[in-house]
Amino acid sequence: MSLDVAIAPPHPGRWRRLLGSDYFILLISALYFLALAPFIPGFATPENLRNLLANSLPLLVVAAGQTVVLIAGGIDLSVTAIMAATSVQGALVMQRMPNHGLLATVTGVAAMLGIGAVVGGGNGMAITRLRMPPFIVTLTAMMFFSGFAVWVTQSQKINGLPEDFNNLGGKLPFTLAASLLAVGLLGWLLRRSLFGAWLYAVGHNPRTARVSGVPVDGVLVGAYVLSGLGAALASVLLTGQGETGDPVLGRYLLLDVIGASVIGGASFFGGRGNVLSTAAGVLFIKLIDNSLGLLGSSHFTIMMVKGCLILAAALADSLRHRLVAAN
Amino acid sequence: MKKTIPCSLLLGLAVLALAGCGQSTPAGPTASAGDKQLTIGVAFETLQTEFWIAGLDAIKTELAQRKIRVLEAIADGDANRQYEQVKNLITRKVDGIILVPKDAKTCLPMIKAAQAAGIPIVLFNRPSDSLGTNTPVAVVADNLALSRATVASLVARAKTTGTRHAGMLILGDLGDMNAIGRRDGFEAAVKGNESVVDVVARVPSEWNQEKAQAGVVNGLVAHPEIDFIFTSSDFLLPSIVSALKSAGKYKKAGEPGHVILGGFDGDATAYQMLTDGYLDATGVQDVYFEAQQAVQSLLDQRAGKTATGNIQDPGFVIDQENLKEKAPRMWGANVKKHR
Repeated sequence: MSLDVAIAPPHPGRWRRLLGSDYFILLISALYFLALAPFIPGFATPENLRNLLANSLPLLVVAAGQTVVLIAGGIDLSVTAIMAATSVQGALVMQRMPNHGLLATVTGVAAMLGIGAVVGGGNGMAITRLRMPPFIVTLTAMMFFSGFAVWVTQSQKINGLPEDFNNLGGKLPFTLAASLLAVGLLGWLLRRSLFGAWLYAVGHNPRTARVSGVPVDGVLVGAYVLSGLGAALASVLLTGQGETGDPVLGRYLLLDVIGASVIGGASFFGGRGNVLSTAAGVLFIKLIDNSLGLLGSSHFTIMMVKGCLILAAALADSLRHRLVAAN
Repeated sequence: MKKTIPCSLLLGLAVLALAGCGQSTPAGPTASAGDKQLTIGVAFETLQTEFWIAGLDAIKTELAQRKIRVLEAIADGDANRQYEQVKNLITRKVDGIILVPKDAKTCLPMIKAAQAAGIPIVLFNRPSDSLGTNTPVAVVADNLALSRATVASLVARAKTTGTRHAGMLILGDLGDMNAIGRRDGFEAAVKGNESVVDVVARVPSEWNQEKAQAGVVNGLVAHPEIDFIFTSSDFLLPSIVSALKSAGKYKKAGEPGHVILGGFDGDATAYQMLTDGYLDATGVQDVYFEAQQAVQSLLDQRAGKTATGNIQDPGFVIDQENLKEKAPRMWGANVKKHR
């Protein structure tokens, strides 16, 4: 009996349960907002909240895809390159259509999503079939497709896109509908589908999952396809917002993407994370951006603050992982 | 939970404190225009080069002299981030926006958003694509004329050597109207002077020092006879100097093997190189003129005056002959003195 007591894990305290909660960051975001609202002119106005929402949606879509990969125990560094490549390819497709009506928009969006899925699938295949580390595969994909986007356009931006397409990123109701649809579907996949259960199982322990009959390789490929699709949809929204196919679209977004997922509770060790928590992470990052931006802070200050927060989140993740392992 | 609230308040305060480090302050206690102190948002795409830092400083000085408050936003090369920043400035209901866009196209939604909110907007040093009658005023250097004059000065120097020179042009990002103007100015100046300068290499830099250096190194290997170089921006000079040193071609004017070298912008490096005798000429953008015109244009728009077209900064060419006379007006010389 005395031995049992000695080796039993300590009863987790309230702070520890809170730290482990998927919604911890949502609470922090709410408190952050309430704490700063009186001090920042325009921060709590409907107009700014609308801006905040509009700015968050493209990041949410791509970070949700990244979360899927992190749950599976991988990482996708190629998302920003996928965004750039799909932005210019989609823009070129739409520009070459004989008319700029709805058909051009549908074709362009389909091409962008298709490319995103194919690149994501290629990443997944390289990781599973060639047994290459996800970091190396997606890093080289990032280099290749970043270069490809610049090469195809010779650094030129492509504008004159269809109005319907621009509305997808430029008008909040359209952006919101597209984002909620995608993220809702992803949330359903993770929580309700067999694929979701397999994904968590692979992330927790791929060997055990394989022994248990989970098609590990297929699940991993699926995760990267979803990440590619998320990046492509984010590209649709940002390209529409800027009304321009941009060969360097999203070049500086990777820190925010991974940061939002990790701050939201996704683990670099796999097996942990969900779309709602990632949404909280996105909200927090964008709150930081927005509040400091309204204060007129320099971009470098914002980067320093965000870097510290992401480091804190990664530390918390590591701590949590050790606590779980100890239990 | 009890610990969470103080923690987040602490976090908020820490962030506020950090934010204060980069926050601009009002120009003075009596700053006002009519009953209300004006606030101008200054959104720069980048502070990557000395030119932009000098430009931002010149605008802030100009606004301070007029007792106008500044809100600054730097997008670090990200057009989507700049869009968010412009929307933030609109939310803050600033009285005007001075914008340095990343390029001529991605700024169009920002301009539309500012105009829809009734906020005057002026583009600093980089014009936008046309928005018809809604195209905003841009204060820009006459890139074509100034680079043509600069290259003409280099060609005149080349003529004095009595030999035919092999030329290299270092291009900027051709998505940037300024880079296109400078390229066209170069081409216009060498056209008709093929017997003096034969352009054998055109190196794309995309405004990236590493790409410029690699391009110049490759160009010098492929064409070791190159002895005439014009860069579309002075901020690429360190890359060119490095490549020339590697090739053993970094010589002062008058020394055997000197490569005739010219640039554009007028930064502190160019000033030092002119002083040391390595640089032959550079086209200087008058950032003080541009800052003054940008602020004045915003105030004119607020006063209801119609503002159309670009405001041209004529700039000037500075070379070995007029260095002493022109240096006081060269922003790079002033930066150098204050270091």
